[in-house]
Amino acid sequence: MSDLKYGDKIIRMEGVIVEVHDGAVAVDLKGRLGYLKVPVRMFISDYPIKVGQEVAWNMSFVEQLGPEVNEKYVSNLDTYTRRQKEMREKRK
Amino acid sequence: MSITAETAKAHAHDPAVLCCRAEGGITIEPANLEDPAIFDDLVDSGLLNLDGCLTIEEVLGAKLVKTCDSLCPLTADVVEGAKAPSVSGEVQEQKEEQGESQPEEAAPAQTAAVPAAVPGGILKIHIGEGRDIDLEIPVGIIGGGSAPAAGSVPETVKAAAAETEEPAQQPKLIRSLTRKHFHITEVKRGPETKIEGTVLCIRDDIEKECIDSEELVYDLKIDIITPEDYHTYSETIMDVQPIAVKEGEYELGSGVTRVLDGVVMMVTGTDANGVQIGEFGSSEGYLDENIMWGRPGAPDKGEIFIKTQVTVKEGTNMERPGPLAAHTATDIITQEIREALKELDENLVVSEETFDQYRRPGKKKVVIVKEIMGQGAMHDNLILPVEPVGVLGAKPNVDLGNVPVAVSPLEVLDGCIHALTCIGPASKEMSRHYWREPLVLEVLHDEELDLCGVIFVGSPQINAEKFYVSKRVGQLCEMLDVDGAFITTEGFGNNHIDFASHHEQIGMRGIPVVGMSFCAVQGALVVGNKYMTHMVDNNKSESGIENEVLACNTLCPEDAVRAVQMLKNAMGGENVKAAEKKWNPNVKSSNVESIEDVAGEKLCLVENEQSLPMSKKRKEKYD
Repeated sequence: MSDLKYGDKIIRMEGVIVEVHDGAVAVDLKGRLGYLKVPVRMFISDYPIKVGQEVAWNMSFVEQLGPEVNEKYVSNLDTYTRRQKEMREKRK
Repeated sequence: MSITAETAKAHAHDPAVLCCRAEGGITIEPANLEDPAIFDDLVDSGLLNLDGCLTIEEVLGAKLVKTCDSLCPLTADVVEGAKAPSVSGEVQEQKEEQGESQPEEAAPAQTAAVPAAVPGGILKIHIGEGRDIDLEIPVGIIGGGSAPAAGSVPETVKAAAAETEEPAQQPKLIRSLTRKHFHITEVKRGPETKIEGTVLCIRDDIEKECIDSEELVYDLKIDIITPEDYHTYSETIMDVQPIAVKEGEYELGSGVTRVLDGVVMMVTGTDANGVQIGEFGSSEGYLDENIMWGRPGAPDKGEIFIKTQVTVKEGTNMERPGPLAAHTATDIITQEIREALKELDENLVVSEETFDQYRRPGKKKVVIVKEIMGQGAMHDNLILPVEPVGVLGAKPNVDLGNVPVAVSPLEVLDGCIHALTCIGPASKEMSRHYWREPLVLEVLHDEELDLCGVIFVGSPQINAEKFYVSKRVGQLCEMLDVDGAFITTEGFGNNHIDFASHHEQIGMRGIPVVGMSFCAVQGALVVGNKYMTHMVDNNKSESGIENEVLACNTLCPEDAVRAVQMLKNAMGGENVKAAEKKWNPNVKSSNVESIEDVAGEKLCLVENEQSLPMSKKRKEKYD
């Protein structure tokens, strides 16, 4: 996967924990630069996790790997969103 | 940064490069030299050229003829009075040859080799951390004043082993477990749950009971997937489970277990908003493109899946009760099949297999430490249910505080773990994995090893808790007086912190450790320590990544064989080369070749995702 042009451009990002679940943590990147939700296993913690705690990590930019659209993902996403919609309507 | 005399000794055969500016005329000391550990990066980035560079042992004590800047490689033209390389070509060559005949995967760690002559004429070499290790052995130490005759290392090891184990003690049978297999060729729905011949019938209205059993379960659908239906869409596969039951009053881990062949339980689900349970494990899509057939934890091609699609209360998909409810509701169906299986006529048994657990006094005593996830929600496992891979009677390891739990190897093979399984479809160990655990099977059947048991230890979320449980693992291994230990983990992430800590806790007690994990490119270890010198990578994917193919990168028999061989070498005090800086799949193939050469038989390697119908995504993006 050495096809990244700027993969070595590592920058420190900071964020604030905005959601804590038993299995996941969600973080708002400071400066409204985005939102990141990760399973707790990918989150390193020294203390009990709480909303409002600040976090930081190194990352690079997200780069496109190419212009092609992967139909499999599109189809999975369609199925997924359609099913979500159906289920929400069923609950109404 | 300059190095110490000790580091200089350890790196005697590494290139000599000045750490800082040095005046002409000085005598070169370790303090003038840079730590060779950093050279790879410098060479890669073009900042350093080591062509013609002398080694550290050659330049120490020599005179620098002219003033040189920092990071200047010391070549013959700037050094006066360099020593000749001390190792005779003959011995070195032999050592290299020996080196090659050993498994050689290790964590990307720094190293130091400490040779020590031991009474009794055995040369023990301990490799702490390091790279490019060349060993210098004064021939006198080896005995008889001559170098050992050229020959493969395993022979030497065997000879030594034979001598020390002469008063051979008899293996002691501890317990046995028999599996009676019943074959199923068709699964259908009907008025009651029963098995007739090879046809399994599941009660029509069983779904209602499943739904009513759990407050959080809103809906449950059963799909029966036959091989013809493999090309259908499925939500993320949460778990694959064998359908098995204890016969009579037998307890899990001994006696007789009945199991259905040709059919497995499969748990999938979403919350009421349609969001995947577990959310992150993205093996959704067409089943035939997403399952690595035949992996210990995965279905085998040709099997029928009884697939539940559970809908849990909205928003509980990432909370602890959600995934647990999905598993518990599914187990109502499995339990009803188990009861039918329990009553089945003995004549329908198609085959039987028996696992004997022997203790082998006098052999090297080893333990298998399996790290299981315990961070919460779907990162949890139910330990020791009453029925194989059941729910009733089991305790979640999160509730147990993730502390180590000792089980017998036969309990593992009898389904003592009901895995809620987490993220990373390619590397997660599903319930069926434990039922067919390759490392447990390999060590159980190895007559040269005395397997004393298996320790499950959870991986908690918070670092302090990780070190808490890890210290208990170390203490347990100390009490067990083992000669060696295997440590396995599934997937990657913060569990690698405790994985490393387990190595430290066991390693610091002088016990050789072999670690097994998916690492390759994407799962590279987040931390390392000087005890992580023997590692086996479970990767099978072509590109060394989490390829979203169920169970692709889990521990397989070929990994177990390598790990066993590596631990034997480590316990025998043999040298294992350090890992290369970047993941290199050739290390595995050359290790496999070495093992094949010694064992004299072919080691069949499993296929990877390349054998599946290729989804466009994989073709374009990954491989």
